[in-house]
Amino acid sequence: MLRTASLSLTLALLGWASASWLTEDFKVWTAEGARRLSVVERPVPAPAAMVAGPGMTGRSLPDWLGDTGEVTIVIFFYARCFTVCTAVGSGLQQLQQAIAATPGSGVRLLSISFDPLHDDAVRLQQYALQWRADPGHWRVVTVPEAAELKRLLDAFQVVVIPDGLGGYEHNAALLIVDERGRLVRIFDDTERDTALAYARSIVRRGSAG
Amino acid sequence: MTRGRLAGALHDAWPPFTGVILLMVMVLPPIRRATEASMTAHMLVQYTALLLAGGLLAQGLPARWQQAMQRWNELGIAGLVGSAIALAVLMVPRVLDLALVDLRVESLKLVALVLTGAALRLSWQRAGTVVQVFFLGNVLPMMAVVGTLYQDAVTRVCNAYRLDDQQDLGLALVWIAVGVLALWLWRLGLQRRVADPPELAISASTGQKRK
Repeated sequence: MLRTASLSLTLALLGWASASWLTEDFKVWTAEGARRLSVVERPVPAPAAMVAGPGMTGRSLPDWLGDTGEVTIVIFFYARCFTVCTAVGSGLQQLQQAIAATPGSGVRLLSISFDPLHDDAVRLQQYALQWRADPGHWRVVTVPEAAELKRLLDAFQVVVIPDGLGGYEHNAALLIVDERGRLVRIFDDTERDTALAYARSIVRRGSAG
Repeated sequence: MTRGRLAGALHDAWPPFTGVILLMVMVLPPIRRATEASMTAHMLVQYTALLLAGGLLAQGLPARWQQAMQRWNELGIAGLVGSAIALAVLMVPRVLDLALVDLRVESLKLVALVLTGAALRLSWQRAGTVVQVFFLGNVLPMMAVVGTLYQDAVTRVCNAYRLDDQQDLGLALVWIAVGVLALWLWRLGLQRRVADPPELAISASTGQKRK
């Protein structure tokens, strides 16, 4: 019985060790949780990618993110989406209003389409108009080059899968990119106030230091 | 070798042979991709097939090995403890996502499932009712809770799988937990009837009445 007990104990320890490894010391149970934890611990620099959209054709994404000392809230989307994305769109509109209400707050919005095949310049312009995106606060772009888009989605761990109805399902979230162009924090798309407050806290820290 | 012994050898050889074939089919890249294309197939088809393959392979182990292992697995306790833990870990949603992108996790998952299947096969009969109750009492509520969470979650627990897929799987997990429990109770009832024929049961109950 001693042998059985010791083998059971060994198996239990093995299970505990693998569970602890898989869940980052029992802090996360999902891949999305692991993604959010990992960017807090190790900020992710935006990879080299050229973006294109109304008013910003052929800009380098890392340059744009890092050139004004502003903090950017990045949202991935595709314009054909009409279900949850309508809620996300109106949420962004509210975020834009909140940002515009305090001029010089140092926070801006960037919507990046992961569907460049459908979201060309015209479609992105329509989307910007539809949600009354003010170019001073909110830019709408895509990454036309497929390899660069993939690198960006991989780096920021954006997972896009077909929804079986001709559209996509993706881990939509508010990605906080600091003034140096690094992804530092990820919030649910419903946590707008928290995300904005966090973005502003980075700006304040940056200007203080 | 006489004809009887040959037939016996064939009879003994087919389960491990089937197990090897099943395992080889399940790890073929196209089959793996197909069974991992949906969350439901990943957990219900792939997991089940690999557990089954492990069980069939274990049947092919020489009797001497099985006896040697028995000393480390009295009443099937070690095997069932290990299986319960492995199943719990393999139900963590991150495992499903990681297995798709990380070959290390995928390999460990395959090995763990085959070993769990083998451990269940080698331990189940040896475990008495009490040890079986302990095992099922751990695994089935866990399955039912996971299934309920998958159905009720408004967000996806796996980035690689759709919400409707997750809800289907959740419902199926709850039904499987209920089904396994029902099956086990039914078999327990059958065993009782065999071990305890009706006449004896009556005399035992009248005996109690007299007291």
